[in-house]
Amino acid sequence: MTRKKVKLAYITNDSARKATFKKRKKGLMKKVSELSTLCGIDACAIMYSPYESQPEVWPSAMGVQRVLSKFRKIPEMEQSKKMVNQESFLSQRIAKASEQLKKQCKDNREKEMTQLMFQNLIGKAGMHGLNMMDLNDLGWLIDQNLKEIDKRVDFLSKTSHNPQGSSSSVAATQSAMTTAMPEATPRASVGESVQTETNNNFESMQRQHWIMELMNTNPQSHVGFGGDEMMFPFGDNINVNNNALWSNAFFPWEK
Amino acid sequence: MVKNNPVQGRRKIEMKKIAKKNNLQVTFSKRRAGLFKKASELCTLCGVDVAIIVFSPAGKVFSFGHPHVESIVDRFLTRSPSVRIFDACYNIVETHRDANIRELNAHLAQLDEMLEVEKRNGEALDEVREAGRRQWWWQAPIGELGSNELQQLRNALLELKMNVGKQAELLQAAVESSNCWPFLAPNGVGTSGFGCEGNEINVPSGTTQMYKFDQDLYLDF
Repeated sequence: MTRKKVKLAYITNDSARKATFKKRKKGLMKKVSELSTLCGIDACAIMYSPYESQPEVWPSAMGVQRVLSKFRKIPEMEQSKKMVNQESFLSQRIAKASEQLKKQCKDNREKEMTQLMFQNLIGKAGMHGLNMMDLNDLGWLIDQNLKEIDKRVDFLSKTSHNPQGSSSSVAATQSAMTTAMPEATPRASVGESVQTETNNNFESMQRQHWIMELMNTNPQSHVGFGGDEMMFPFGDNINVNNNALWSNAFFPWEK
Repeated sequence: MVKNNPVQGRRKIEMKKIAKKNNLQVTFSKRRAGLFKKASELCTLCGVDVAIIVFSPAGKVFSFGHPHVESIVDRFLTRSPSVRIFDACYNIVETHRDANIRELNAHLAQLDEMLEVEKRNGEALDEVREAGRRQWWWQAPIGELGSNELQQLRNALLELKMNVGKQAELLQAAVESSNCWPFLAPNGVGTSGFGCEGNEINVPSGTTQMYKFDQDLYLDF
């Protein structure tokens, strides 16, 4: 393909322009031909240039006539519906590119917000630099996540009556746990004992106990839950107001 | 085949009618757009007049023409050697159009570049997300979490949400106080409340697009 990027402007150098014309004209006609063959459709191309007195055509003068008469038979409104010139064509492409850009930016912002949310959960980011719009978006994102959690909780509570359901949730959480904390040393021994239980309540108690243990033995581990910066109530008491560890983490901006 | 661009999958394709209808439609769409793009470039680069007419597999007609499809079709059919009857006006119109096209091309190029940048940003963010998912349990997909984890995460998020609200209240209070003191905006620039330059106080005026939370704890503009 091309080695250098061509600037999209009229080529002032006569010989360069003529050379480009020859190549691109050939390429264009080839593309029309391919389109016609691959898709089994009628097409034609007409080109007037300062280099040739007669227009360059595809497929042939006869072929062009045929397609043109087919074209002319269509009601004029249909003809113009998808008719473009350079300006309208470029405007359309600009509109499309703008849309794509907008969507990409929106997606990126949501991804960034997600990271911000996660960081706030472990007290690793403050909300100082956020403006009202940021806070609004962050709040929205939190709500979206809460909704999803509620849906999942609902689903699990429905399937927990079915023994099949609870064991699969154990399996799922097992994998989540093991992938989440690769460096936790107590993991190996606790993991085996949890597997024997299928009762949800017992399993959750075990895990809480395990996490507390993890926290106590290794408060500055690479797992990321450093001393005061914990957002999660990794204790027996899930009452957020009473847990001192909890409160510390939720006011990172007061440090 | 080496693929440099992740978007364009380059495969050798046989030059005959595509068998699968769906593929055929997709190919038509893409190639038609590409064809028109090439034609547009040729017009700009070499100053030629072109008309291309194609019929879609569904029977709809698409056409591209520079300066217009009509004039080229007429010119071809009437076979008149010279069409530039109104030479003087034609040149003025032409130069205007060329300037316009130059601008449009520049605008499009700029958008394409920005899109490229944002796509790369997106990919980088995806990588961060992936790494996070593997590392922390609460970053894993919600569908993978067990009841206890869900409960913990839920509580954490609720608490965080409350704090977001508190921060929002703080901000609003700050804005309102700066409203009362129009000449004492945060960074000392004399503005009247809204529209001040401080990073932290940047309330869009006429906040009609605010998302309303389920619990109206805050943000009651």
